[in-house]
Amino acid sequence: MKLEVYDPAMCCATGVCGPAVDPVLVAFAADLQWVAAQGVAVQRYNLGQEPQAFAANPAVVKEMEAGMDRLPIIAIDGHIVSTGVYLSRDQLARKLGLGAPCCSPKSGCC
Amino acid sequence: MPLPMIATRHAFFTGKGGVGKTSLSCATGLALAEAGERVLIVSTDPASNLDEVLDTVLASTPTAIAGAPGLHALNIDPEAAARAYRDRMVGPYRGILPAAAIASMEEQFSGACTVEIAAFDAFAKLLGDAQATAGFDHVIFDTAPTGHTLRLLTLPSAWSEFIASATGGASCLGPLAGLEGQKALYAATMARLADPAATTVVLVARPEVSALREAERTRGELAELGVVNLQLALNGVFATAAPGDPIADAMTRRARDAIAAMPAGLAGLPRTETPLLAKGTVGLDALRDMIDPARTGHDTAVDITRGPLPAGLGRLIDDVARAGRGVIMTMGKGGVGKTSVAAAIALSLAGRGHPVLLSTTDPAAHVERAVGGTVPNLTVTRIDPEAEVGRYRDEVLAKAGAGLDAAGRAMLDEDLRSPCTEEIAVFRAFARTVDAGKDGFVVLDTAPTGHTILLLDAAESYHREVLRTQADMPEAVRQLLPRLRDGDFTRIVIVTLAEATPVHEAERLQDDLGRAGITPYAWVVNQSLLASGTTDPLLARRGGYERPFIDKVAGFSSRRCALIAWQAEAPVGAEGLAALAR
Repeated sequence: MKLEVYDPAMCCATGVCGPAVDPVLVAFAADLQWVAAQGVAVQRYNLGQEPQAFAANPAVVKEMEAGMDRLPIIAIDGHIVSTGVYLSRDQLARKLGLGAPCCSPKSGCC
Repeated sequence: MPLPMIATRHAFFTGKGGVGKTSLSCATGLALAEAGERVLIVSTDPASNLDEVLDTVLASTPTAIAGAPGLHALNIDPEAAARAYRDRMVGPYRGILPAAAIASMEEQFSGACTVEIAAFDAFAKLLGDAQATAGFDHVIFDTAPTGHTLRLLTLPSAWSEFIASATGGASCLGPLAGLEGQKALYAATMARLADPAATTVVLVARPEVSALREAERTRGELAELGVVNLQLALNGVFATAAPGDPIADAMTRRARDAIAAMPAGLAGLPRTETPLLAKGTVGLDALRDMIDPARTGHDTAVDITRGPLPAGLGRLIDDVARAGRGVIMTMGKGGVGKTSVAAAIALSLAGRGHPVLLSTTDPAAHVERAVGGTVPNLTVTRIDPEAEVGRYRDEVLAKAGAGLDAAGRAMLDEDLRSPCTEEIAVFRAFARTVDAGKDGFVVLDTAPTGHTILLLDAAESYHREVLRTQADMPEAVRQLLPRLRDGDFTRIVIVTLAEATPVHEAERLQDDLGRAGITPYAWVVNQSLLASGTTDPLLARRGGYERPFIDKVAGFSSRRCALIAWQAEAPVGAEGLAALAR
């Protein structure tokens, strides 16, 4: 299985380089690591750094033409599953058909 | 020996701003060219005046200098380099991605780090890639003021480490990502810097305690980086030929004492001394005077008659004091005395009973030393990048790291090690300091011009970011740019010297500020020999050459201009600073 994330242009994936830290971005980056650990191939593209990935995907370009607020775009095996939002770990697990995470990220048992 | 002897292919001139790096590197390059060598002089300073010193319009590729066969020069303009880099990255996607996507990509490439990176990239290409300079026997780098130079020099090892440790696609190389393939070039750059057979580093200093202390600091840091082929070049060495004049005697004594008290590490280096010249060092003719000081004396007689000169700093401080609060920022090229002027203003305001915070963003400033002890109503602080980064990391890890597992934390930690983290941390500290001006006076001594402009650029792009983002923004950051633009809140004092280059630099600074929507409040011409009343033949002649520059500043700063005389007593401590504030 393959999960692709098309991020808006940003300095870094966790967002700590911005003027204020967005905890959602930090959590999402950690969630992707978890997803990858479940055996899913995870690919993340930043518009500022990897525009070729956006340009090569007509469905993604079409979304951007509708509005830049469609980013981030999340696709599973080439099919767009969400736009404009970073899915939570639970949501990602469900869309990917993975079992529920073994515990909540806060409990620290993972 | 008036000039450094360069036997290696590469030479760097480094030192505090205003010590004469550009003049000395040009004179050294000219001497080599006149001895039959093919020489390229390179400036990587964002506020370079190489064009002016060589009296030639330069570009980013070597330009031959008319009247000096064998001598070429080029300017690396970091902003132009950043633009070129941006075009290279964004250009191919115009017309393919929507316009809004292109705009948001461009914004990512307009930050301060892109400028630094692009400049460094150009620099590494010249130093690390032998092909790029194959047609020259010597490549002489007239590098930027010390703080900036050191960053430039430390970057290769920092980045090599950074690139080496970045695992997977998660790391925050940010705008650097496009340069990841340059690793071999950076390694070659660092190796060449540390090779004594390939590179000479000339530490340039005036015979002054602060400049020598700075040179020693640089020597230590370079030694740590493994750079060992070092020379010391003392520029502007003066000993009066006719004792009896109090200014000339004080200047002679100060230079002698400073040289005698030189740190042991510096004293052990090969040393050259370039005498103080009456005339400036702009143009090939003046540079030839540096090569052969005996050839001076052919200059035309100067009119030193004392017409009316601008008043001292006192009246300016009276005006500022009436506002009761706000931010006063002293700005200007390094070495013009920003720290002393800031300290004098702060001390004078505190003396009138106002609460004052005196702070600096200049990594090389010695504010505490300038004030020399505790003073009622006065608090002295410094924006220390390392401490600020530590504080920012702790804040981020506490706020965003709490809900993460070990792997997530490790990744966040990795991103916090990126070069932009320091930029942000310092920026936030700067905003916080400016914020304190709403309750009292804040006097800020800002770092040399290049850095200051980057800071303002950062303020501008952050401002845009702040307006766009809904994230949890500190109020001080939100308010920063409006406050810097509010002339009733922030008063910018441009400090300069009555010489060609400093005045030119200050004019450029004023233009840059204008583009950011900021108007300077006042101009201060510091360390004037003309105002000092000296009758020493050489110093009086030098004072005479100040006249047109003082008139020029008084002319375009129609609102407020102050002139501070060269002080026989060093401007440190309560008494020394009070003399400046008169």
